[in-house]
Amino acid sequence: MVDRRSVLKIGAAGMAGALVGMPAPLLAAVPADRRTLLRGAVFTDRFHESLAFADELQASRVATFTAGYDIAELWYRDGLRHLAPLAGLTDRVTLFCLEELARTAGLRVFYRVDHLIDERGNAEHNAAGPRSVMDAARKIPTSAFGREMALLASRFQLSDPPHTAPVKRTGPFAPQDKIALVSC
Amino acid sequence: MVLPPNVSEADFNAALNEFRSAAGAPWVFTSDEDVALYRDSYSIYWGEPEERVASAAVAPAKVEEVQQVVRTANKYRIPLYPISTGRNLTYGGSAPTMRGSVVLDLKRMNRILEVDEKRAFALVEPGVSYFDLHHYIRDRNLKLMIDVPDPGWGSPVGNSLDHGAGYLTSHFRDHFGSHCGMEVVTPEGDLIRTGMGALPNSETWQEFRYGAGPYIDGIFTQSNFGVVTKMGFWLMPMPETYLTGTVTVPRYRDFEALIEEVSYFEDLSLIGMPGYGSPIGGGLLGAPSPALTALMQNGWPSIDALESFVTAQNKPAWSADLNFYGPEETVRANWQAAKRRFAKAIPGAAFQDGELLPLPIPKEQEATQGDKPRLGIPALEVFTITSRNPMTNSDPADGHADFFAYVPRKASAVWDAARVMYETYREMGVPPMHGPFSTPINYYSRCFIMATLVPTYRNAAKNARSRELFAKIMDRCAEHGWGCYRTSPAFQDRLMSKYSFNSNALLRFHQKIKDGIDPNGIISPGRYGIWPANMRGKRA
Repeated sequence: MVDRRSVLKIGAAGMAGALVGMPAPLLAAVPADRRTLLRGAVFTDRFHESLAFADELQASRVATFTAGYDIAELWYRDGLRHLAPLAGLTDRVTLFCLEELARTAGLRVFYRVDHLIDERGNAEHNAAGPRSVMDAARKIPTSAFGREMALLASRFQLSDPPHTAPVKRTGPFAPQDKIALVSC
Repeated sequence: MVLPPNVSEADFNAALNEFRSAAGAPWVFTSDEDVALYRDSYSIYWGEPEERVASAAVAPAKVEEVQQVVRTANKYRIPLYPISTGRNLTYGGSAPTMRGSVVLDLKRMNRILEVDEKRAFALVEPGVSYFDLHHYIRDRNLKLMIDVPDPGWGSPVGNSLDHGAGYLTSHFRDHFGSHCGMEVVTPEGDLIRTGMGALPNSETWQEFRYGAGPYIDGIFTQSNFGVVTKMGFWLMPMPETYLTGTVTVPRYRDFEALIEEVSYFEDLSLIGMPGYGSPIGGGLLGAPSPALTALMQNGWPSIDALESFVTAQNKPAWSADLNFYGPEETVRANWQAAKRRFAKAIPGAAFQDGELLPLPIPKEQEATQGDKPRLGIPALEVFTITSRNPMTNSDPADGHADFFAYVPRKASAVWDAARVMYETYREMGVPPMHGPFSTPINYYSRCFIMATLVPTYRNAAKNARSRELFAKIMDRCAEHGWGCYRTSPAFQDRLMSKYSFNSNALLRFHQKIKDGIDPNGIISPGRYGIWPANMRGKRA
């Protein structure tokens, strides 16, 4: 088993290696401004913003996975634990479970943005993490934010110092009168 | 940074350096963001001074490293808190009993040392999860089934040492009851093996529990008497089939006879954990119907009023799901026998035949099974299910503290416990989770559990109210002789104070053992009320 720090380094080196090793036509198909260190992303197919998030990352050749009924399927069968760095835009219970599982694999949540969507579709965003995320989160639109969250995830620099604020920020439960999504 | 109590920063840093020599520098975690990962996700003291947070964590990979860490801890008087996978949510999770302890994270000790298909046992390290063991067995096509808790992300070692349980027949679902043999690092850094393991070259360490002399395995459960580094478990041979059947009974009073007949099959080990329910509704996580709410307006109804209510609903009062494991001939015969007995004992009993499933479930079909734990398949679906229950109102909880009251296996005890919990919630001004149609859980086959889930929050004021409710429920249940079997560190002192026979003789005995084998008090101080001598009477 590798330690936490080397997992992140391998994640970055692996992605850079993959970019270097990709056949030229395939590499050329990924625009320079879409290249990202992300290796995987999780989305929930029940929510439009989450689908938009996944679409944006798929265009950057990031492997995307849908969070089904049993999150264990994602972690074990789909091999999510081997795909750090990971991003996601899902419901709370998915992130809650993944965060608990992640500690054993030497991973942690670097940033987190909670999106509470009311019945009119307006979203309130609440961010926790490094300064770069907090600044970006202020500019997230109240609607159609899925693509913006994908872009934020793509550009996120692992060199930012980690923070305690995003860690275990909520439990798995969400309010019944709003849609609660969370991106990380 | 939080320091361990009564430890200087110089000594703490010296200990950390020795931990690094033992386990490797990358495996000693001291930064705020690393240590934050060990917070209890469901803490009822989140963000308050009383929250049990670690000072650091160390993750050794081998028994020899654990011994070195323990010896270092003795040298500098550093309290250690061993965890396996650290997912004991509602009971403290990965956070220590005493604030400032160093978490001894055993996740790197994750080897499955042996699985013997024909003799049906496994020997595992504490970092092995139920998922790991299930995948190991499945991927090698071994004809064995494991008993899993729900959720299944914990470890067999950790779960059994905290008296966890599962879903198969009674032999296997008492997880500590199905263990055989342990290896333990003592609080002074020595290494012992229990049972037949104490005989060098023993060939029956995982087959005969007792060895010779005193059988000591139990003292390592819910205690702070050592660090378990290996544990053996008896496994269920893979049954040929799995059959379910449901019996419903018409009248409110039929519950007693239903329990008696189900218990007959349970005590013969012919069924797995039965599932009691009520078609009238009002289960633990289900809101009562408007009709039931109206009935309860004037307090707890009489049995006669409940009988009239049941008749008016035109639904059976109670149900029990039975689960049979074995060859097709025997499971069908046992279900037939069950129907015969129920029909004779309870006029009007009705039956619904369930599905007969050939076993094992092929790997590609596991994901689609509706009741994975009863098929020995670990899962996390319970989180998705419970994230959509009445706890998720407009102001949802962030977790829950579970209180499981152990009551006799009879209808009157279920009704009494439900009423006491209902009245306690009402006194506290909290919507009750219980009512006249509440049903018990049967994790341990010889008695019932009446469960309640008290919400926990990221909010101090709400948690204060929850703590008051939890304490009141614990106190009321103890007054009625209904003990609780497991709780988070926030309530362990209170819980153990209820087990007070003969002026707390049991606790005094635990303390004598603690003083003898852990004189420096370094392993999990305070776990289940067992404080080292130098901390008794003045909690750190």
